[in-house]
Formats: sequence, C-alpha cells, structure tokens
Amino acid sequence: MSAVEVAQVSKVFNLGTADQVDALVDIDLTVEQGEFVSLIGPSGCGKSTLLRLIADLIEPTSGTVLMNAKPAHQARLDQDYGMAFQQSGLFEWRNVQKNIELPLELKGWDKPTRRARSLEMLELVKLGQFAKHMPWQLSGGMQQRVAIARSLAANPPLLLMDEPFGALDEMTREHMQTELLRIRKETGTTIIFVTHSIPEAVYLSDRVVVMSPRPGRITAVVDVVLGSDRTEDTREDEQFYDRITEVREALRGAEMGSAPLGIEDR
Amino acid sequence: MTVVLGAGVDESVISVLPARGAQRKRRRGLRVLMFPITFAIVAALWEGYKVVGPQNGGKILGWKLLPRAGSREMPHVWDMVSRLTRPENGPNSQTIGIVVAKAAFYSFRVALLAFVLGVVIGMVLAILMTRFKFFERALMPYLVISQTVPIVGIAPVLVFILAAWSRNLGDQKWIAASLLGAFLAFFPITIGGLRGLKSASPESIELMDSYAASWWMTLVKLRLPSAAPYLAPAMRVAGAAAVVGVVVSEISVKINQGIGELVALYGQQATNDPAKLFTAVFGAAILGLVMSALVASMEKLMLRSRPVTA
Amino acid sequence: MSVSRRRVGSGTRSGGDGVVAKVLPPVIVGALFFGGWEAFVDWQHVREFILPKPSEIWKQLFDNFGLVRSASVVTGTNALVGLILGTILGALLAATANRYRAFGELLNPLTITIAAIPAVVIVSVLNNMYSVTTQTGRRVMVTLAVFFIVFVQVARGLRQNHPTQLELMRSYAASPREILRKVRIPNAVGYLFTGIRTAAPIAVIIALVSEYFGGTQDGLGQRIASNFSLSKTAFAFAYVVGGSIVGLLFFAGSNLLEYVAVPWRRRRYSR
Repeated sequence: MSAVEVAQVSKVFNLGTADQVDALVDIDLTVEQGEFVSLIGPSGCGKSTLLRLIADLIEPTSGTVLMNAKPAHQARLDQDYGMAFQQSGLFEWRNVQKNIELPLELKGWDKPTRRARSLEMLELVKLGQFAKHMPWQLSGGMQQRVAIARSLAANPPLLLMDEPFGALDEMTREHMQTELLRIRKETGTTIIFVTHSIPEAVYLSDRVVVMSPRPGRITAVVDVVLGSDRTEDTREDEQFYDRITEVREALRGAEMGSAPLGIEDR
Repeated sequence: MTVVLGAGVDESVISVLPARGAQRKRRRGLRVLMFPITFAIVAALWEGYKVVGPQNGGKILGWKLLPRAGSREMPHVWDMVSRLTRPENGPNSQTIGIVVAKAAFYSFRVALLAFVLGVVIGMVLAILMTRFKFFERALMPYLVISQTVPIVGIAPVLVFILAAWSRNLGDQKWIAASLLGAFLAFFPITIGGLRGLKSASPESIELMDSYAASWWMTLVKLRLPSAAPYLAPAMRVAGAAAVVGVVVSEISVKINQGIGELVALYGQQATNDPAKLFTAVFGAAILGLVMSALVASMEKLMLRSRPVTA
Repeated sequence: MSVSRRRVGSGTRSGGDGVVAKVLPPVIVGALFFGGWEAFVDWQHVREFILPKPSEIWKQLFDNFGLVRSASVVTGTNALVGLILGTILGALLAATANRYRAFGELLNPLTITIAAIPAVVIVSVLNNMYSVTTQTGRRVMVTLAVFFIVFVQVARGLRQNHPTQLELMRSYAASPREILRKVRIPNAVGYLFTGIRTAAPIAVIIALVSEYFGGTQDGLGQRIASNFSLSKTAFAFAYVVGGSIVGLLFFAGSNLLEYVAVPWRRRRYSR
C-alpha cells in the first residue's frame, strides 16, 4: 500500500472566468512508505498546489488522491499527516510547548499525555530548554523547528512540507536539512517536501519530482542514489554534484519555451 | 469622534482569499443599501422606546441608565424631519434646513483649511525629525505624551488665547477655529508620517545611496512613496480631528455662522423646540460624513497603485 | 504583524546612543519651552489673566491641590466607567456581528456614522435625554466613543488571522468552533487590549470635553471653562495640569495592561 497515490489529478482555478488558470494537468504520482520525495520547479508550476491537494486543503477539479488507500478527505479528518509551511505559523499567544500541543488538543488527548509528548518532541528538535519560551523570543530557525515538532507531535505517518526552510539563511538552512534527515531516521516518517532549491532537494530526497508551469505538470523524476546515511560530507560528494546536474538539466528541459526559473510565488 | 485606529499596519495579515472584483463591487453595493435599512431600524427602535420607555428616565441595576422617553427629550423622528422644512424662528425666517446646511458648509470650509494646514505642518515636522536626529530625540517624548494628554482639554487654553486675540479679528474669528483644528490634526500626521518615512527598507536606502542620490531625491523618490500607506490612516484620524477642533472652538469662541455653535444654541432651546436640536445634529453628522468621504477618496488616490490589502 | 519578525531594532542609523544623547535633547527642549515662556511673560509684562507664568500655575496647583484632585476624580471616574462599559459593549457586539453576519451588516453603517459625527455634538443630545443633574449623559458619551474603537479592533481581530494559522487548522480538520476557540478568539483578545490602549486616552478627552456642554459643575472640563471665563487663568491652567495627569494615568495604565495581558503584542513607542 502506497503512502500517497495521486491519479490523473487536474486543478483549474477560476473555472469558467476570464482569469482561468490550469494549475495542474493530469498529475500521476505515487509515494511509497518511508520515502522522501521533493517537488521542485519554477514559480507557477503548481508544486504547492499539488501539496495542498494531497493535504485536502483544496479539492482537485478531477482525479483522485489517496493516502494509505484512503481518500485524502478522510485522511485529513483522521489526521493521517502533519504539515509545515514556509511561515512557521506559530500561535504568538502560546508558548513553545503549548504550540506543539495544539494538534494534540484537537485530537482530544488528555493533559499529562500531551505534556509528555510535547516535551519528547522538543527533545527531538533539540529545543528542550525552550519549552516555556514565547515564539517571538526565538530565531527564525528555532521557530521552524518548533513548527516541525508540532507537525510530528501526533505521530503522523506522513509529513507534508511547503518550503519550510525557504525563509532561513543558508547556514541555518543546511543545518536544518541535516536535522530533518535525522528526525526522519528516528521517526520513519514519509515526507513530501516542496522546495525551489536544487541542492536542498537532492540532499534530502530519495526522489526529486521536477515540474514545469503553464500548465503545471510533472516533466521528470530523478532518482537520488546517495544512500540513507547522509551527512554534511555528502555535500562534498561527487555523486551529489552529479545528481544536482541531473536535476538542473531536467529543469532546463522542462523550462524550454516557458518562464525562467524563479522564486515560487504560490 | 476622534478615533486613533492603530496605524493600520496590521492590515498586511489579511484573510486567505480576497474577494474577486465583481464580487467585491456587488458587496459594496449591498453595503450602501444597508444604510437606509439600518437607519430605518434605528428610527423604529427610537419610536418603539418612546412607547415603552419611562417618561422620567429609569434605573437599571440602580443606575439611571434609561433615558427619558418624553417628546421633549426624545422627539418623534417625523418631527425632526419635518422641522427641517419649517422656518427657524419667526414666520419670516429661513427654513431650518437651509440654516443648517449653510452652517455645516461654513464649518466644512473651516475644517478643510484646518485639515490642509494640519497635514502640511505635520509632514514638515515629520520630515525634519527624519532628517535631523536631534529633532526626533527632542520632540518625540513630547509627541508621545501629547497623545495621552487630553489635547482637546488643552483646546480651551488655545481657544481662550485665540479668543483674546480674535476679538481683534471681528468677522475673521474662523481663523482661530481653523488654527485649533490644525493643532489637533497635525499630531496624527506627524506620528504616521514619521513611521512611514522610516519604513523604507535599509536596502532601498542603500540603493539610493549607490545612485549618489541627494537626501531630497531619496525623500521624494523613496521615503515619501513608502510613507503613503502609513499616512492614509493618519489622514483619516486627522480629518476627524480637524472637524472636532473646529466644532469645539466654534462653541468656545462663539462663531455664530458655524454648525458647532448652532448645536449649542439649539441645545439651549431644546426644552421648547426639541426637534430643532436634532436638525443641527443631522447637519454635524453630514459634515463629518462628507469630511471622512473626502479623506477616503484622497486615500484611494494616494494608494491607487498598491496591492489591495489596506 | 508577521510572526517571524523578531527584532524590533531601531532601524535608523544613529549616532551616539548613550543615555545622555537620549535624555538631553528633550530636556533642552523642555527647559527652553518653559524657560522661554517664563521669560517671555516677564519681559513683555503679559498680564496674568491672558497668559500666566509656569511658576504661577505651579503655585496655584500646589495651593489648590485638593480642589484639583476632587475634580480630577469626578472626570476620571466618568472616563473609567465609560471605558469599562464601552469595552464590554464593543467586544460583545463585535462577537455577535462576527457570529451573525446580517447583524454585522446592519451594525456597519451605524458605526461608520457614529464615527463621523463630531462626538461633542452627541453630548448635547444625551444631556437632553438624560437629566443634566447626573453624570449619565457624559458616561454614555464616553461609552459610545470607546465602544466604537473596541468594536473595530475586536472585529478585525476575529476576522484577520494569519493565513498559515488558518491553513494549519484546516489541515487538522478543525471544526469552525475549534478554529474560533483556538485561533480567532485568542487573536481577537490581542486586538481587544490594543483597542483598550487606544481608547483609554480618548475616554479622558471625551469625559472632559463632554463637560463643556452644561450639566453638573464638579468636573475638570467645567472648572477649566469657568475659570477661564472668570479670567482666573492660572487656576484654569492648574486644572489643565490635573487633566493631563489623569490622561497620563490612563495612558500608563492601559499600556501596562496590554503589556502584561498580551505580551506578544508588545510594541516600541520611541521608534
């Protein structure tokens, strides 16, 4: 049973009006259990839209999305995935620990269990001493780590991430990437990750899905065979550079006759 | 009502999906339609209270909260409206509608001048404070305190000083009213302008520096445009403040041509002719609405090429 | 207000940032202002009933401290009662308007109109509706003014949420009720205290000005006006100082309240 199965999905915004946009056309994508898949592409290619379709935050115009053989809508109701965004989206009136407990409150966990779980999560993202801090007292990288802890708190089998490191500086970003790989190893979570950074996609993923805009579609899938033990040294690896080149060329191919690579502006 | 709305910067956080053009237009049409409906309901509530309310006022939880429902204190709505078409005093005087309209227009002109003066003075101060750190350091504490001190409370001070002076003014007393309006209006402009002028990002200032642009060029090309979103809400406050200032000083300096003095005068006559007071209040309300509509359209002009967030 | 914006730094290129550089300029301006005022009155032999010297105002305040204090208490109480009632009314109506759309649409034109009418004008109507021997008309006036500010702020807080937070709640399949409880209400509470902070000084202003339109003689506004017209100008100024102190107390109190109650909305003033 695949973690996520996207079949023949299309999404049209503003259907039947003057500003109709074909955001996604005939998307097929299967993500296996425990896999790390990145979606990459220039702005307007619909990678964030695809992620939101999987999350059932928006509905496809046609086609089906299954999560563990369940319709995406049911999966959302059952809380089968966690989600992290580019903006941490922390609640500024809750301290770090209370932020992590939010999804657990909604699931109706009792207080002691919530407390224990949130502390466990804080240890996982190495923010143990910051439980009582308020979000605005943390740096951007730390806020994002809290957001990741929150997305994993309910122990979902799947994690959906929409450019979670997009607003961080390069050094913090690389550090966070390594942290994410460590967390993934410890939890065995399946991850779908939207990014516009080629090295980030290659460093993190088992597979990189390359997309192109107007209309949004998948143009190539690059298998990243770097093994499961990736460290900071992997970034110096020749294999790593080869994969980067491969993704870059796939992007160029996708780009022919369309807009230049830009910043995602969903 | 001088109301300072928290500078409007929080507006960047808007709800997820903004309404589309056509939808927004239709909703605006609906909004305008709501006005007569709301006023009809308020009028009905007013008349309804007159039927059930106590004639001499009443208490809620020991507090004299219920207004007196008699026709002397709360005249019928139709009396207020019909009073507009009847003569002001004797049979030979003008109809009250014309008197009120004239007074409101008089005050409007004075308030408009006050507003313009306030904006100019406020901006000059803001620019000086941006240009010279000393000015900012020296004046800022006073500007902050001035927001807390009942400025309108100082109004009589100014008005009486102005009144002493305005005895020499004769028919030109409105100058005093305009000055007071400007005095109330310039504070929000200075505060909003200062925040706005400083809102230009360090990067864009450095960009201007890299062009070897003079300070004035940077002001005109960069700082003033980036101040616009901060100035817009400040102007709304300043417009209201100008009206309040003018109305208050009309009463204090006794400028008979203005709507403020008319309200005060009709207030004294309210025991004999209660509907009269309300006609003057209508006039003041229309003055306020026209002023805020004018400022709103200026705002629209200032922000015409900006994204629709504010 | 973005969540990730952490530092509230000055953002201006500043020279020396020592205490002296910060304190000295306002002190110089203050000293120049009051010194100049005192000197100008001496030099021009301005008669006291036109413009008294600061030292004379100080003397009047000192000599009549009890009178100024009792007038300040009367006006301050009116402002406080109105502030509390207006806050409750504004928050309740904003919540209702948010819950029942039609009610909100009906209330909207009313708030716009009330906002546009010069407040001082409404006082004369209220004085007429209530008996002039009570403080009720003034308190209702303050309530109206405060109501409007709080209403606008709370309505905004209930409506304007961070898009990411809403998307997150949707990903949790949260019910509208849960979104209300976990996102909209806490967010609106922040706005509520900002509304109170904004309204507090205005409550004092309205309480004071509403006294200019007749009614009982015991408040600051009446004392200021009557002493001016009796040409006891220095005495009138002493009451103005009283009013300023009441205003400052409300300002400080409401800021402290916001600072303590909703720490995430702390803001710098001297920016």
